[in-house]
This record gives sequence, structure tokens and C-alpha cells, in this order.
Amino acid sequence: MVKRVKKRLVLRFPADRVNEPITYVLIKDYDVSINILNADITHGKEGNLLIEMRGEAAKMDEALEYLKDRKVHISPVVKTILFNEKDCIHCGACASVCFPGALTMKNSNRKLKFSPDRCVACELCIKACPLQLFELNFGA
Amino acid sequence: MPVKKSFQEINEKIKKGKAVVLTAEEVSAMGRDLSPAQVVEKVDVVTTATFGPMCSSGMLINTGHSDPPIRIESATLNGVPVFSGIAAVDLYIGATENHPERPDYGGAHIIEELIDGKDLELVAHAKGTDCYPRRDIRTTINRENINEMIMFNPRNAYQNYPAAVNASNRIKYTYMGSLLPRMGNANYSTSGELSPLLNDPDMRTIGLGTRIFLGGTTAYVSWHGTQYKSNAELNEHGVPVSNAATLTVMGDARNMSSEYIKAAYYEKYGVSMFVGIGIPIPVLDEEMAARLMIRNEQITTRILDYGNPDHPELGRVNYAQLMSGEIEFNGKKIRTSSLSSLYKARKIAGILKKQIEEGAFLLSEPLEAFPAGKGLNSLEIR
Repeated sequence: MVKRVKKRLVLRFPADRVNEPITYVLIKDYDVSINILNADITHGKEGNLLIEMRGEAAKMDEALEYLKDRKVHISPVVKTILFNEKDCIHCGACASVCFPGALTMKNSNRKLKFSPDRCVACELCIKACPLQLFELNFGA
Repeated sequence: MPVKKSFQEINEKIKKGKAVVLTAEEVSAMGRDLSPAQVVEKVDVVTTATFGPMCSSGMLINTGHSDPPIRIESATLNGVPVFSGIAAVDLYIGATENHPERPDYGGAHIIEELIDGKDLELVAHAKGTDCYPRRDIRTTINRENINEMIMFNPRNAYQNYPAAVNASNRIKYTYMGSLLPRMGNANYSTSGELSPLLNDPDMRTIGLGTRIFLGGTTAYVSWHGTQYKSNAELNEHGVPVSNAATLTVMGDARNMSSEYIKAAYYEKYGVSMFVGIGIPIPVLDEEMAARLMIRNEQITTRILDYGNPDHPELGRVNYAQLMSGEIEFNGKKIRTSSLSSLYKARKIAGILKKQIEEGAFLLSEPLEAFPAGKGLNSLEIR
């Protein structure tokens, strides 16, 4: 069985690489499925891309080699959101600002559900929570 | 013969442990299959509840007299200013009062800490008089060493409230929560078909002296709330389409719990306080039953644009739509959030139901009804 892996990375493109179709190459040549979670790219300037990559382990390694070769700086996403669930009153004020759907109230018992694997650490919940139960964590 | 019941008859049943009690959500579900006449035959009491941020709240305390005594003219608790413009050592802690240097700490936190039995630093000053010679105090107080702790909330339990969106191009931080630009989300704040005043829109059974659940203990409606409005526009189901009636409530905060009174901070707005309120409503007759059977899809509210200082109305929506997590508005899907906790409101409605079933909570008939046809003045800047 082929081993498949998932990686969440921030790719930093040098200004002279912004015009290259790097995500196209990743998909076409390395068969990596890419989900762009956040993009900040302007021609002639350095760009940042927050992506989630899924693919076969061996091909993923090759893909990362390719990125390094193209002088793209790769850093794993280490920012995560910590949620103090114990003190939550389940109002749900955070749910409508959560674009990736990591915070949801759609269950019938009206309790807040936090799915960390969907969180992209956009930080909007931190200010939306009236009890200040979300915190940014910079640890690995 | 249509069934009619009085408060007294229902209380007799409660005392005998024979009253049939349902929550407002249960009776709304029941109403899909039964008529009001059948509901009034089967059900005696319906419990309603809400747990939401209610800014117009506070606690009146009496600290006891020191020796020599002081006539407090200015005071802070943990650095938060409290109102001292009433006799000697009576102080009113306003829930939304802010610590001058800590925007996310204020009166509501002081109230919660007092309820939890924590020590608070009291600093007070006075000019000193012949009868109250002391001029300064710096000491600690807590729930054990002061006299009264009276929760006194001048405007709670709003009967309906608008849903807020932001049509401007910048994020707005409001008392309706974080509102994303270009109508990125919509926030609302009621418990819908479970909400107390939406189940008695004409205020037939809720008035002066109504016994209620407040913050974890038995308490009372002590007046109509400030900004009480009883001439608001009604929808086709007889429910106000916007904020209308309100309640002033009072209770002994010493018996309350921080499970049902919770300090809150809204980014760039300030401090507020979640208040848990439960109100039992007697099923007096068919008309009352019909009111109590109201469902979320029959309760309408207005969508207001908080991105514009005038808060113009953009449209209308019902609570079934808002509670689904997403509404469709002008062809756009908008995610919704509640500011009040339905989870907690259900818990309160359940507690009240159990207390009534066990005969531990009797209903009280209003001593006086609240004013009908009352409108609101707005402040003219002259």
C-alpha cells in the first residue's frame, strides 16, 4: 500500500519567483493535491502561501526538493489555536467568523465543536470570544 | 366548554406534584400535532429561559460600617470604579463599568468574583464629616464580610433583538460581536421559541412580582425594564419584530452561581455580563397555549447594518433560519452566530421544569400588569 501524507506549510516565494506557476508544477508533476488556505502574492514582491498538501510520501519528498530547488522557503505551520473548552458557555459567537469551519454549532445539542485539524489559525476567533477562551500558540 | 385555569389552581397542582410541566421548546414541538385546546388540557406550566449578554445589569452591595465610619464619596473595587452616590456604604457595581487601564476587566468581573467568594480590594475616599470622620479606606471585602449582595438589573430579557450584519468594507467590533466586512456574517441574540418574553408577547402572565429563576436562584421581576416598549410592530403571529418589552429583575446574589452569571468582554466595545433567566408561564387558556406553541420559524426579526452608524434595516429573517447556521440574503449565503447560549438556556429551562415538578417553585400572579401601548422617547440634541 502506498503511504499518503498530509502537510500544512507556509511557502515564501522570493520576488523573482512569483511569476512561476509553482503550484501547477506541484499538482501536474508530483501528483500533490493542494488546498490553498491563505494567499498573499503580488507581482514583483515577495509572496506567502499557506497550503495544505496531500500526496504519496515519496512524491511529496520530491515535491519539497523541487520547491527548495526553486528557492522557495518552506516552513511548517507552527501557529495553532488553543481552546479552553472547559470554560466555554457555548454561545457560538466564534462560529460565524470561522471560515474554514473549525468552530461549528450545527449539532442539535447546541454545543460548540472545535475541530483543530480544520483550523488555519486566522485568529478571528480570539477577538470574537466574549470569554477570551482562544489563545495563539507558537509552539511546534 | 373551553378549559380555563387560574394561577391558584395551577399552584394547587404543583403543590400536589401533579402539574404537567414542559419547556417552551417541547411545547412548540407538541404544537405541530395538537391544537391549542388540546395543549391547554394536557399542559399546566411552560418553562422559558435565556442566557445572553445583558449590559444593563449590576449589583448593589452594602459593605458594613468601619470604626470610625466613612461616608464614601468615591470608590473602586479591584480598581474598577463603582457608584457611591447613595448613602454612606451602599455601592452599586455596574456590570459594564471598565477598569481604567484594563479594557477587558470591569464590573461584571467584580460581580462574578464576589459571587465566587473571592477577595476584592476596596479603595474609598471621602471628605470627612462630623458624623463620618474617616476619609480613606483600603481593605479587602468578600461575600462573607459584607452585608447585602443584591443583583439589580434594570434592563434584562429583551423581547426580541435585531440580527446584526456589517455591509461596510471594514471589520466592526460591536456589542453584537465581530462583524465581518461585506456582510461576511450575521449575529443574533435570543433563544427564539425558548425566550421568555417571546412566549408571552402581550405580557399577560409576566408583570410586577413574577417569581423567576435568576443567575441560579429564585428571584423576582421588580418593575418593567428600562426602554420598555409595548407598541412595537407585530408580525402575523402577534410577536414584535424587534426589541420591545424588557424586565427589571432583582434577586439575592449570594445564592447565585457563576455558572449562570458570567463576565464577558467584547473586543473594542467593553465589558458586559451574561445573565441566566428562566420564567415559568402558566397555560391559563387556549389563547395562552397558542402563544406558547410559537415556533422559531414564526418569530421574525430585523436585519440591521451595524456598518452604518444609523443601523438601517436591510431585511427580515426568522429564527429557524438564523439558528440553522446560515441565512440566504440578497442571493448571498451568510454564516450566522448566536451571542446568547441556547445550550445554557435549555439547561435553565430544564432546571426550572424540575423544580416546578417537584413542588419547589410556585408561580406568582403579577401584582400589576406592565404598561400597554408604551412608546419610547429618543434624545433630541438641543
